[in-house]
Amino acid sequence: MQAERDISYADVNRDVVRSLVETGSKYYITLAISVSVMLACFFAPWFYQLQYGIGAAGMNHPTVWGTYLASFIFWIGLSHSGTLLSCVLHITNSSWRKAMYRSAEAMTLFSLMVAVTMVMVHLGRPWFIHWAVPYPNQMELWPNFRSPLMFDVMAITTYLTGSTIFIYMGTIPDFAAVRDRTTGWRHHMYVLLSLGWRGTDTEWHRLGWAYTFLAVLIIPLAVSVHSIVSWDFALSIVPALHQTIFAPYFVVGAIYSGTAGIVTVMFVLRKYMNFEHYITKLHFDNLGKLLLVLSLIWTYINVLEIFTGWYSGTSTEYEAIRYKLFGYYAPLYWEMILFCAVAPLLMISKRFRTSFVPMLILSIAINIGMYTERFLIVATSLSRQYLPDAWGIYVPSLVEISIMVGSLAMFVTLFLIFVKIFPSISIYEIKETLPEPEPKTQSESGAPEWQPTL
Amino acid sequence: MATNTVGLFDAPATALAAAGELKGAGFDATSIISPIPLHGAEKVLGEKKSAIKRFTFFGGLFGMLFGFSLAAGTAVLYLHPTGGRPIITIPPFLIITYEMTILCGILATVIGFLVSARFPAMRERVYVPEAAVDKFVVSVLCSDDAHDRRAEEILRSAGAEEIRRLREED
Repeated sequence: MQAERDISYADVNRDVVRSLVETGSKYYITLAISVSVMLACFFAPWFYQLQYGIGAAGMNHPTVWGTYLASFIFWIGLSHSGTLLSCVLHITNSSWRKAMYRSAEAMTLFSLMVAVTMVMVHLGRPWFIHWAVPYPNQMELWPNFRSPLMFDVMAITTYLTGSTIFIYMGTIPDFAAVRDRTTGWRHHMYVLLSLGWRGTDTEWHRLGWAYTFLAVLIIPLAVSVHSIVSWDFALSIVPALHQTIFAPYFVVGAIYSGTAGIVTVMFVLRKYMNFEHYITKLHFDNLGKLLLVLSLIWTYINVLEIFTGWYSGTSTEYEAIRYKLFGYYAPLYWEMILFCAVAPLLMISKRFRTSFVPMLILSIAINIGMYTERFLIVATSLSRQYLPDAWGIYVPSLVEISIMVGSLAMFVTLFLIFVKIFPSISIYEIKETLPEPEPKTQSESGAPEWQPTL
Repeated sequence: MATNTVGLFDAPATALAAAGELKGAGFDATSIISPIPLHGAEKVLGEKKSAIKRFTFFGGLFGMLFGFSLAAGTAVLYLHPTGGRPIITIPPFLIITYEMTILCGILATVIGFLVSARFPAMRERVYVPEAAVDKFVVSVLCSDDAHDRRAEEILRSAGAEEIRRLREED
């Protein structure tokens, strides 16, 4: 397996508990910075926008969707990492997932939270968001379930609920392991979170079944979520958006950016949480292969999108393609192609895939490219619809750019809080990949290594 | 009063062998507490059945009916004719049905898990903290001292490095 040195079961407990209870100044400084950036760049501009109206954003006719929705698609996309790595690799028995799936699931959860917040920011009157929930009210109004926006509400609510339950359920045995080695408020918190887990054969059996069922339910859910997000656009009759390829295009793009996000997070965990022995070159190698395949599929769909537009023989589609490739936003388009289609070809080399820093740089570049892709979907299509007198350029305002940066800080903040509450690698699943302990002779056994508290 | 005799083992193989011997000697209330799921446990302690799959199935079924009823029912309650299309439009409502099927399936699975694994535990139960680290524990419920001694004997001869007697709360 992945361990580069001989690791015992006790080492795994000790290393993971240490990552939770031992907090250095670097952590607090990073947390302080991310919280400050979140407050200054996300909440302050949002408050300003609420005070002065949605006009504070650059969205206007004809481009009535902007970076808020681009960010929404981006964060929903990033959330697909957890599903792919955790559910798909779980039911296919891929043991290399075990060191990284917990963080992947956390990415799913926090990306979804940020995505939902981006929808709130996009709304002119977010205090009426409860109108999207079907509940009996004095106005006798019900939401229109024929609208893709209501598909979104149902799909994202389900995905958020499912992801939260999935990550929590898989962590119950680890909460119990941490419960036994902590004191004070942490101990009380883990007592509650572990629900009284003991690790009996019956409990493992029940967990195994429930976890597998959840994985099987969540995979089609994840596919449906990003398909539905794509239909927000594809069900309109705007050239360049009204395409049947959009659902698979969005799903592949989501898994692609999510997997790149995992590479970034794995690098940071490995380096700053001292998990070098658990997150190894093998993981980066496998993630690299996965990214390479995804980049090829993504590139193929991009080529296909252009081909079908050209093959339709429609003047509006021609114009949409021409505008995307050579118009106002063309530099962004070619940047996206460079980062998401050309640069990932470097991963053909195993040497590249097993080099940590180059993989980190590439993973960040891929996600910059993927954000650009989402921005271009919104900006190039709406700014160039049927009639030339309705054309117009969209440039995000400072408020929008600031909120975009702030959303990243919000994600980082949530993740930093997560790594101090949840064991960020799975204790029991890592142990499963280690060689089984051999029976000791009486003279070897001696005093147990386990110590009751930290 | 009934007590639990527990034996701590270094390796899963010896713990499984001990559990098998206890089972063979007529100790029915035998369980293994371990830091990882033991795949041979069912072979030794007998096949386990779980109601979770029924919870998932019926939860999903309920969600399917609920999802479609929600979409169709609210469309009928608040009429919103669009371009002469039917009020109950199947394709979009199937999406709502699909999502609600999965949501209710997930929630029912969780309920099934909590019920069948008896969580959250409201009372003190037999627990050995070392079993969350690197020990494999065989626990057996003994009704009297004679049983207790017999269980200890079996556990010791199977290679238990430590024997403890623990009581559960009533």
